[in-house]
Amino acid sequence: MKENLKVVGHNAVRLDILEKVTGTSEYTDDIPFGPNLLHMAVLGSPYAHAEIISIDTTEAKKLPGVKAVITGEDYPEKFGLYLKDKSIFPVDRVRQVGEQVAGVIAVSYEIAKAAVKLIKVEYKELPVILDPYDSVKEGAVLIHPDLGNYEIEPWLEAQPGTNIGHLRRIRKGDIEKGFAEAEYIVEGEYHIPHVAHTCIETHISVSKFSLDGRLTMWNSTQSPHTQRHIMAQSLGMAHKDIRVIAPPIGGGFGGKAGISMEVMAAAGAKSCPGHPVKLRWTREEEFYNSSQRTGLRNKVKIGFRKNGKIIAFKHEMFWDVGASAEYGSNVVNATGFSATGPYYIPNVYIDSHACYTNNPTCSAYRGFGYSEFSFGIESTMDKAARIMGIDAVELRRINAIKEGEGVAYDVPMNPNGLVECIDKVAEEIGWGIEEKSDDSNKIIAKGFASVWKAPAMPANESSSAFIKFSEDGSINILVSGMDLGQGFITAMAKIAAEVLGLTLDKVRVELPDTDRNPYEWQTVASHVTWSCGNAVKRAAIDAKSKILDTVQRAHFIDKSQLYLEDNGVKCTTQDSFFIPFSDFVINGIQTEHNTWVGGPILGSGMFMPEYTNAMVDPDTGLGGNPMVHYTVGAGAVTVEIDKETGRMKVLKMAEAFDLGKAINPDLSKDQIVGGFVQGLGTALWEECIFDEKGRMLNDGFTDYKIPTIVDVPRDMNPILVEVPQPDGPYGARGHSEHTMIPVMPAVANAVANGLGVRISDVPVTSEKVAMRMNDPKYREEM
Amino acid sequence: MNHILKFNLNGDPVEVTVKSNEKLLDVLRDKLGAVSVKFGCGVAECGACTVLIDGLSVRSCITFAVEVEGKNVVTLEGLQADGPTKIQKAFIKHNAFQCGFCAPGFIVSATELISKNPSPSEEEMRHALAGNLCRCTGYQNIVNAMNEVAEDNRKGDK
Amino acid sequence: MENFRYLKPATLEDAISGKSEYGSRANFLLGGTDLLIAMDKGVVLPDAVIDLKGISELKYLEERDGAIYIGAAVTWTELLESELIKKYVPALWEAADLVASVGVRNTATLIGNICNAVPSLEGGAPLYVRNAVVFLEGKSGKREVVIQDFFTGVKRTVLGDDEMVTGLKIPVEAKFGEVYIKMGRYEGEDLAQAGVSVYVDGDNNYRIALSAVAITPVRAAKAEEFLKGKKLNPELAAEAAELALEAIAPISDIRSSKEYRIHMCRIMVKRGLAACVSRMETGLPALSTRLI
Repeated sequence: MKENLKVVGHNAVRLDILEKVTGTSEYTDDIPFGPNLLHMAVLGSPYAHAEIISIDTTEAKKLPGVKAVITGEDYPEKFGLYLKDKSIFPVDRVRQVGEQVAGVIAVSYEIAKAAVKLIKVEYKELPVILDPYDSVKEGAVLIHPDLGNYEIEPWLEAQPGTNIGHLRRIRKGDIEKGFAEAEYIVEGEYHIPHVAHTCIETHISVSKFSLDGRLTMWNSTQSPHTQRHIMAQSLGMAHKDIRVIAPPIGGGFGGKAGISMEVMAAAGAKSCPGHPVKLRWTREEEFYNSSQRTGLRNKVKIGFRKNGKIIAFKHEMFWDVGASAEYGSNVVNATGFSATGPYYIPNVYIDSHACYTNNPTCSAYRGFGYSEFSFGIESTMDKAARIMGIDAVELRRINAIKEGEGVAYDVPMNPNGLVECIDKVAEEIGWGIEEKSDDSNKIIAKGFASVWKAPAMPANESSSAFIKFSEDGSINILVSGMDLGQGFITAMAKIAAEVLGLTLDKVRVELPDTDRNPYEWQTVASHVTWSCGNAVKRAAIDAKSKILDTVQRAHFIDKSQLYLEDNGVKCTTQDSFFIPFSDFVINGIQTEHNTWVGGPILGSGMFMPEYTNAMVDPDTGLGGNPMVHYTVGAGAVTVEIDKETGRMKVLKMAEAFDLGKAINPDLSKDQIVGGFVQGLGTALWEECIFDEKGRMLNDGFTDYKIPTIVDVPRDMNPILVEVPQPDGPYGARGHSEHTMIPVMPAVANAVANGLGVRISDVPVTSEKVAMRMNDPKYREEM
Repeated sequence: MNHILKFNLNGDPVEVTVKSNEKLLDVLRDKLGAVSVKFGCGVAECGACTVLIDGLSVRSCITFAVEVEGKNVVTLEGLQADGPTKIQKAFIKHNAFQCGFCAPGFIVSATELISKNPSPSEEEMRHALAGNLCRCTGYQNIVNAMNEVAEDNRKGDK
Repeated sequence: MENFRYLKPATLEDAISGKSEYGSRANFLLGGTDLLIAMDKGVVLPDAVIDLKGISELKYLEERDGAIYIGAAVTWTELLESELIKKYVPALWEAADLVASVGVRNTATLIGNICNAVPSLEGGAPLYVRNAVVFLEGKSGKREVVIQDFFTGVKRTVLGDDEMVTGLKIPVEAKFGEVYIKMGRYEGEDLAQAGVSVYVDGDNNYRIALSAVAITPVRAAKAEEFLKGKKLNPELAAEAAELALEAIAPISDIRSSKEYRIHMCRIMVKRGLAACVSRMETGLPALSTRLI
């Protein structure tokens, strides 16, 4: 049945746009804390891997204005989201350049910085591992010798005695038989470097430990409740005594998911009770000391039948998770289950290794590993298409997974519009239509990729929501999902407004405060529209049912005849019947006896998927149901390439995603454009570059180049496809991360299509294109 | 070395004691409450700290506070003293920002551009805003909003 | 950043006497776009900073006696908005358009750029092909140095401890075409990995300068000599581009490999030659056209 929706599915200006455009959003650093505020600075390790022999803080403590100097001696606890392998301050060794070994809290940042310089640390250097292949070599130095003793989620498989923090295996069907039956076998080996989120707002926390034992934190975060939980565990405090407030956030992209530097700020505050303590990363610290995107070395081998059908698929992934796998282990896990791409394949072999290295720690980054592995798959698909003489887009259509077909871990695929996405993108980009540049030095080429992604979360992640009415019939929605700019609060407002017959001007959604707003796991995984949206819908239904009960009791109209519209209650059998919410949602309805019925209306709702199961067989990855659903899509680019210089200009892009139902179509399209451009950065320019000692050589915007307004295509075409998600609010599922995923392979495929040169290591720089163009080693016959 | 610094901030005279090495960015934020001016990189590469000094956009993170003695400094707070400007209204209509952290810098840069060139071509406009980084939007809605401002100003000229 | 004494002299004389007092322990401040970052990193730790923005004697941009005169306090934005520069020194105008971003160009200066003397400087190649003359002034008096003699190494110039650059002049030419091409990683703000200026006059005299591919900007004398008096054709351009490479000594760094810099210089010289000849004859390609 098609619902007649009044708010959901219609465009609206985002609810928080006025505060953004007037600069009145009070980001954490903008909140006044008064003269009592202290500032914290940390000392980072100059070595990528070294034993800490001694730390001498004597001189630092003597500096006037210094309130405390803290080290691992004061805070030896390990913490982590999935695997507790990270230190607040390490006691034994440092595992990456920049790892904090001490913190200073002082009356000014200047003094704190000066005191940091007075701390003397004696190190003993250890061998450094910077490449995941080196990490898994026999005899490699162990980065975490205590791996076997760390606390770990039961669904992760650490390999103590090695540098592998987690290994996810998939063995579906008979891989050898599959390859034996294949008429074509196509292989490729790929490399993805670390990249950085580069939120324009760097990480910041202001923490205050009151003398009565209460910890309050103002954090730029995607994960207030998760942070509270980790803080409670690592500081040995009760959850109720910790309050995490999430002011507006200046960009997240996964970089502010989970917890990183906030735990240091909390430790700093605990050492200076009564004072708010501010810790704000510099841009350099942001690169080193928050998190980066996982690097990847992977080998893809695909067996095809003559008709183009994939029959066997082997994917070996060696993830460079950096110094800690506390969060990155789940990237490795999620991709281990999904690294086939959106294709139905009967025989699958996947190994996904979380390799510790002495590079900066990696965690969540928009796309959660799918961008990285999809590059190899989609590059190999294009190679295969060329070898088999099948059109590259057609090859993807042939293999596109359909509802009910088994995914890699052999659970039926959810309803999806992958073929529709592929067709619409192919049409928009003019697939198959040759274009010529008016500059004789240049050619124009197109590249294509199709992708999928599932929310990566523990099986029992959950969301909850409160809705409370006020006297004038307006509502406040209390949720702990975070508006990162993606439009979360607008989506939640629309879902509640739809259920409650409200106009949007009657709805306000608050940013998280763990004291006030109910539980949300985290705003990650492109899952809050779906998960928190379900909770909000249920809360709205709960409130609606209380409204209807009240009216039924006061007016003796059966509630089956009542409905909500135009900010009040109407009746299907009496056209003139209308009670505005403002008449009764707080004070109730007066009866003929002058008594009152009802009371303040509020609703609560919760959501947790009850069909997921992360406990799979470690040898095959089968036997569970680790993912809730996949969102599918496709993307393509038109690139102009200079045949001499290798310089590329992306002229046009088209991307389509099946988001089930667009709660706010305009904002959904904005996600596609924004994610595409972020993907474009990683495709063409972005890369964290390290020297042989693990020092980052481009820890600033001078040499870490993110796209500017002149570097983006002038012709961007976001396309929405809507095949409803059965358990999504109004059929919605997430799609914000997915928008990045097609870009790297689409660009590399365009270069291969245009020049016959296959770039297997991103970024696809002009230099690589120019210098490899005529090198037979990189030729892909056209 | 301390200085008693006097200048006009958003039209009002201010007097503040600063050290020679204090940045205009920090003085505006920490001593004068102009928190729309953001720290993003500290080396003039992201544009989040952009302010107008005597009508020209300047990176306050690489400007010593003492350099603005006697000058007119305008931040986003000052631009909208009479409510959202035409540029801001266009940005609102086009959902031009997502996280919003870069917005004040963008609006200040855009204001300077429109004051010099009321109806820039799209490429002129992009070129003028290339020093302001945004990680969320992909810039398309900013371009759409600015094109609308330029178009409207073009009509106004006729 | 350490604290320092801030001086804001009103006259050139006061500025120079301030500088003589502190010598190498003082830095001049114009736009400050390089100085502040160096001070933040602790690379430069002056006892005194002498702000030159109050000196009206340094604020000139004019044509007189067959030359364009540019004072030290003239910003990149002012160069970019100057019809004189666009008409008489178009390669410098193109370079100005490629310096950082508006917010930096509004305060940063050409003179600051050459005094800072990093190899990737935008102002080097366009001044080299015009044989610009730099005005120096110090305690012991004034002197003039042709731009090719101004730079002595990476971040090094002939400036004495008590000296400053007060401005420079560029001879006005009658019939000519010129171009500046920048190699950056993308169109957005970037430091040049290579810069090429090419100049030609009505008598087929060619001048070619390259920056960011040696410790200082360089002129490609051999290539210039080879082309002298010849009417350009694609074969000559290609040959001259090869000869131009003999003048450079690029390094590999994180921005580009040495090999790619050489590859690009060859293309930039070749395309630059064609563009400046074409500009002289037809005015095309228009200024700020991306040639690479």
